[in-house]
Amino acid sequence: MDPAVETHALSKRYRAVQAVDEVTLRVDPGEVYGFLGLNGAGKTTTIRALLGMIRPTGGTVHLLGERVGGGGRGPWRRVGHLVETATAYPELTVHENLEIARRLYHVTDPAATGRALERFGLAPQASRRAGALSLGTRQRLALARALLHDPALVILDEPTNGLDPAGVREVRELLRALAHERGVAVFMSSHLLAEVDQLATRIGILRAGRLVEELDVADLERLRARRLAVDARDREAARAVLAADGYVGIVTAPDGSLALSDPRALAAPDEVARQLVAGGAPPTRLAVVQESLEAYFLARVGGRA
Amino acid sequence: MRPARTPGQASGAPHAAHGAAHGAARDAAITTAFWAALHAEALKARRSRVPWLTGAAILLAPVVGGLFMFILQDPARARAWGLLGAKAQLAAGVADWPTYWGLLTQATAVGGQLLFSFLAAWVFGREFADGTVKELLALPTPRTAVVVAKFVVVAAWGAALAALVCLGGLAIGAALELPGWAVVPPGRAVAEVLAIAGLTLALTPPIALLASAGRGYLAPLGWALLMLVLAQVLAATGWGAYFPWSVPALLSGLAGPRAGQLGAHSFLVLAAASLAGFAGTVAWWHGADHGR
Repeated sequence: MDPAVETHALSKRYRAVQAVDEVTLRVDPGEVYGFLGLNGAGKTTTIRALLGMIRPTGGTVHLLGERVGGGGRGPWRRVGHLVETATAYPELTVHENLEIARRLYHVTDPAATGRALERFGLAPQASRRAGALSLGTRQRLALARALLHDPALVILDEPTNGLDPAGVREVRELLRALAHERGVAVFMSSHLLAEVDQLATRIGILRAGRLVEELDVADLERLRARRLAVDARDREAARAVLAADGYVGIVTAPDGSLALSDPRALAAPDEVARQLVAGGAPPTRLAVVQESLEAYFLARVGGRA
Repeated sequence: MRPARTPGQASGAPHAAHGAAHGAARDAAITTAFWAALHAEALKARRSRVPWLTGAAILLAPVVGGLFMFILQDPARARAWGLLGAKAQLAAGVADWPTYWGLLTQATAVGGQLLFSFLAAWVFGREFADGTVKELLALPTPRTAVVVAKFVVVAAWGAALAALVCLGGLAIGAALELPGWAVVPPGRAVAEVLAIAGLTLALTPPIALLASAGRGYLAPLGWALLMLVLAQVLAATGWGAYFPWSVPALLSGLAGPRAGQLGAHSFLVLAAASLAGFAGTVAWWHGADHGR
C-alpha cells in the first residue's frame, strides 16, 4: 500500500531564509503523525508544500502515491485539509459553506452535507451566517469541510485551535476513530502537546526547518526521562539515607523535594521506601514521574523550559 | 495514466474506444468542475451586498441624467419645484433623447470602468481579504475552473448592470416624453451601451490579476483610479486611441471629435490588455506561492 504522505528532501527557500530544509518523512495509512515545532520552525510552510500551495525549491512530495505537482495537481479528491486559521465565506450560511465544498470536492451525494453538519454538531447552526460564528464553531465548520468528502488523508494545522475542552476531546476521539477504524492517515501540527501526546502514533519535531527527530510513540515512551520523586518530613535525613545506600543521581527539585534518576531506584521504588523507613526518614511521597512531551520537545528544540 | 503500448500492439478499435471513453470521462469531469466552481461563485455573489450596491450606483446614471432632462425641458418649472436654484443655469444642453442617451453612454464608459473594476476587485480580492483562497487551491476542481468561473460571474454581473442602465434609460426617456427617438432608435441605443459596457468589462482581467497578486482590494482599486485619470489625459492629448483604457470613453463620444481616431488598432490594444490580464491571472493562480 502506498504511504499516505511521503516527502523526499523537501526544501523551501525564501531569499535568505531557509524555511524548510531537506525534510524527508513518511506517514502510513492509519497513522496519526504529530508534527511539532516552535513558531517559525516551518510547520505551516511544510503543510502548504504538501498541499501544493507553494512550490518547493527542492525535493518531492507524494500523497497517496501520487506526485504533488505545480499548478495544483494532486489527489485532492482523497485529501482533506485545514491550514492555519479556520476561514469561511462570511455571507454564506454554515450549510451553504459546506454545500459549495461538497460540489467543489465532486461529492455527488447531497446527503453528505447533512452528515457533516450532524457529525460536527453544526445542525442547529446550519442556517446561521458563517460571519456570525464564534471561533470554536468556525473551527468545527472548517473541520467539517476538511472531512466532508471522506478523505483517506487529512492534513490539519492546529485542528483544535479555538475549541473548548469538550470540543478538543470530540475532535481527538473523531480523529482517533478515523485512523483506527477506517485507516485514515492524519498529519497534524499542534501547539497542544498534551493533545499530540494522547493522539499521535508517530511524532516529528521540526527545528529551523529541519526535521531533527522522528520517532514512534513507543520509542518516545522509552526515551522520555523518568525519575523517582521522593519527599519526606526530614529531607536532609532522607538524602543522607539514600546516599548511604549507594543511590546516585540525587537532585533537589525546585520545591525542595528529592528526585532520583538512578535506574536501581526506578526499577524498585518499594526498596527505596523500605530503606528510608529503616533509616528513620520515612517517605511522605514516592512516585515515578515521566518527563512530559512538552519537556522532551523543549529540550529538543532549545526552547524556554 | 496513459496505458503503455507493447511492441507490435495494433492501435485497433478497442484501444481507440478506450481512449474515447477516457476522453469523455475527462470532459465530464471538467464540466462538473466548472459547474461546481460557477455555482460557488454565483452563490457568493448573490449572498453579498455588492450586487445591490453596484445596481444602485449604476442606476444613478439614468436617474441623474433624467433629472437634467427634466430641468432642461422647463427650467421655470424646475425652479418652482425647487430642483434648480433661482440663479443657477445648467450647462448648454437640449432636452431630447439623443442628448439623454449620449449622457448614458458616457456614464457607462466612465462610471462602468470604476464599477466593473470594483466588481472584479471584489470577486477576486475577497478570497485574499477573507483568507478563503486556501480553500480553493487543493481541490479536485482545477484552479483554472475557479478563475474562469469568477470571470464569468464578473461578465454576467457587468452585463446585468448594463441592462439595468438600458432599462432605466428607456423607461425614464419614455416617461419624460423626450423628442428625437427617430434619431437614435431604442435598438441602436441599447446596442451602443452594451458595446461600451462590453469593452469596459474586457478591461477587468488586469484588475483580477492585481487583486490576486496584490492579495486584496487596494492594488486593483488604485490601478482603476490611475487608469481613469490616464485615460482622460491621453484622450485629451490625442493618444487615447492607443491606450486601452481610453477606448470605451472615446467610443462613447466623451472626447468629442477625437472619437474619430479610433481604429482597428484601438480594439487590438484593448483585446491585448484583456488577454494579458486573463492569462496573467490564470498563470498567477497556478504558479505563484500561496504562502499566506
